[in-house]
Amino acid sequence: MKLVMKGVVGLLVPTAVALAGCARVEPWDRDVLARPDMQIVADPVEAAADEHIYFSKEASSGGQGFGGGGCGCN
Amino acid sequence: MRLKVLLSIGLAMLCVAAVTRAAPPPALQPVEGRVIWVDFWASWCVPCRRSFPWLNSMHRKYGSDGLQIIAVNLDKDRALADAFLMEVPAEFALRFDPAGALAKQYGVQAMPSSYLIDLEGNVLATHAGFRAADTAEYERAIRDALSKSHPQR
Amino acid sequence: MQLKNRRNAALREIGTPLAAATCALLGQSAPGVVQAQELMPWDIDTSMLIYSESDGRVQDLSLNLWGRKELREDKFLGLTLAIDSLTGASPSGAMPANVVQTFTSPSGNSQYTVAPGEQALDTSFLDTRTALSASWEMPVARLGLLSVGANLSDEFDYTSTGVNARYARDFNNRNTTLSFGLALANDTVSPVGGSPIPFSPMLGLGDLRNKDGDQSKDVTDFLIGVSQVLNRHTIIQINYSLSQADGYLTDPYKLLSVVDPVTGNPVGGPPGSGRFGYLFESRPDTRDKQSVYALLKRNVGGDVLEVSYRYMTDDWDIDSHTIEARYRFNFGASRYLQPHVRFYQQSAANFYTTVLFAGAALPAYATADHRLGEFDGLTLGLKYGQETSRGSEWSARIEYYTQSGNASPGAAVGALANLDLYPDLNALIAQFSYKFGKR
Repeated sequence: MKLVMKGVVGLLVPTAVALAGCARVEPWDRDVLARPDMQIVADPVEAAADEHIYFSKEASSGGQGFGGGGCGCN
Repeated sequence: MRLKVLLSIGLAMLCVAAVTRAAPPPALQPVEGRVIWVDFWASWCVPCRRSFPWLNSMHRKYGSDGLQIIAVNLDKDRALADAFLMEVPAEFALRFDPAGALAKQYGVQAMPSSYLIDLEGNVLATHAGFRAADTAEYERAIRDALSKSHPQR
Repeated sequence: MQLKNRRNAALREIGTPLAAATCALLGQSAPGVVQAQELMPWDIDTSMLIYSESDGRVQDLSLNLWGRKELREDKFLGLTLAIDSLTGASPSGAMPANVVQTFTSPSGNSQYTVAPGEQALDTSFLDTRTALSASWEMPVARLGLLSVGANLSDEFDYTSTGVNARYARDFNNRNTTLSFGLALANDTVSPVGGSPIPFSPMLGLGDLRNKDGDQSKDVTDFLIGVSQVLNRHTIIQINYSLSQADGYLTDPYKLLSVVDPVTGNPVGGPPGSGRFGYLFESRPDTRDKQSVYALLKRNVGGDVLEVSYRYMTDDWDIDSHTIEARYRFNFGASRYLQPHVRFYQQSAANFYTTVLFAGAALPAYATADHRLGEFDGLTLGLKYGQETSRGSEWSARIEYYTQSGNASPGAAVGALANLDLYPDLNALIAQFSYKFGKR
């Protein structure tokens, strides 16, 4: 399992870095990404409720991040 | 009157550039007679909503001095732009560029973006984004451009 | 010049600059005064959550308030309040037996009995929890965002205080965002009746000789993440997080049954206690967790697909996988229906053991808490939301969560082979939310 962990990180990180170079959505093409339902955390109240439930009932917690996406304004 | 005719031709060229999707946009044509503030906006952009009342006030304050504001809308769905304008009316001129050709020509880096252009068609100032805290600076740039274009004022 | 309505005025062409200037002059009200900066109004979400487990187990009613306000341009204050009322019974960690079992309640002042074959649920479990958080978010230069916050939660026997800071920086014309997060928390536990000495036996009524005082722990969380816009319709996020807990990590209310290695029947407890043999659990005083999380969000013709995966591993040898998917069907601009599915799988902690065998050497640590055992979890849910004419939104969701796990290998000896050593958990979750105003 530790090997899987290394593999996952070893694969995902360079993929993310490589992807960063490829995609370039222009500032005026952010209309879809600006929608509230397209945000990374679309419903913070639901996310907080779920996080609390699963934290209380399971051994894992967190992982989800913040930032990025959206309209990219200013 | 002659100045205004020339302006109309120049701005009509901008208009053509906005609606033509297939042909590459022409280079910025030199226009005479006014200082132009070209503003790129869209209905889904929150700072754009905030900038409109300020743009309206600039239009009222400096319009007769020679400032021409042209707000270029980049919504892909015209209905969204119309809905925005119902809530936040614009007293200045508008252009619609759904394909983003004009935005690309100007090299827009952020939403909203503004370009202050003088009589010769040179870009005097560019602002990426809109912040109320910076409006004094934006206004100063307008006044400087106007005083240079109308030295007798 | 004809009088045009607002809409047409906005769409007029600029071919007649003179007419335009005249219109502007006619429309003028306040001469040359910049309009007052309008800061975004309060953004408020309220919700009520009901969590209800079957078989008389945990019931939770939660009321939540979430608010966000722009206090200065681009600077936001965030506030949340949550009040939870917990009732119902919780498994104590002791196993069912073919005889009547009597347990002393945590306070030592009362006792409860469990019928033969029944799950040993601690019924003296009633609590109200209040949690508050505040955050301040501000831009850093043009491309950065900093958020600092604090949180406090309090219940009868547990208090948690924490601070956190998050920083996000955009690159590639805001197509890429790098995020860092750090959170520090200090928790104090004041168990009812005191914290039991690890591996001490359950004593009789009124006997608190094996109980100690308050305990505490410190938790440090670190997160690093990358969000990447793939195209106009798609965004992905990959996060790596690290969590380190130090201090009292044991659950003061949980026990393990001591049973005969052949018959599986409970053995006698301390002389004079009137109890069978139950030992309070013991967990290590540190725990290091790491997790990798990946999310994909894609616009599919106006609908939204969201898929995520999280892998967690820790130094208690627990590994878990979480796969979650949501698909939001958008009906017009104001209604949506969103099914949700979540698969969860975890392996047991290396010191998880269903029972302790009498006569065997005591391990370094042991717990029978199902939350550290080996189990699969499945959630199926459906959410419906609707925007009102005033621009507010209400939503309702209902979810079904089930856990089914396995007892530790070799635990089902003798009488235990015919008893349910790891009962399924079945819970119903219902949440109703109301978001005020326009988002």
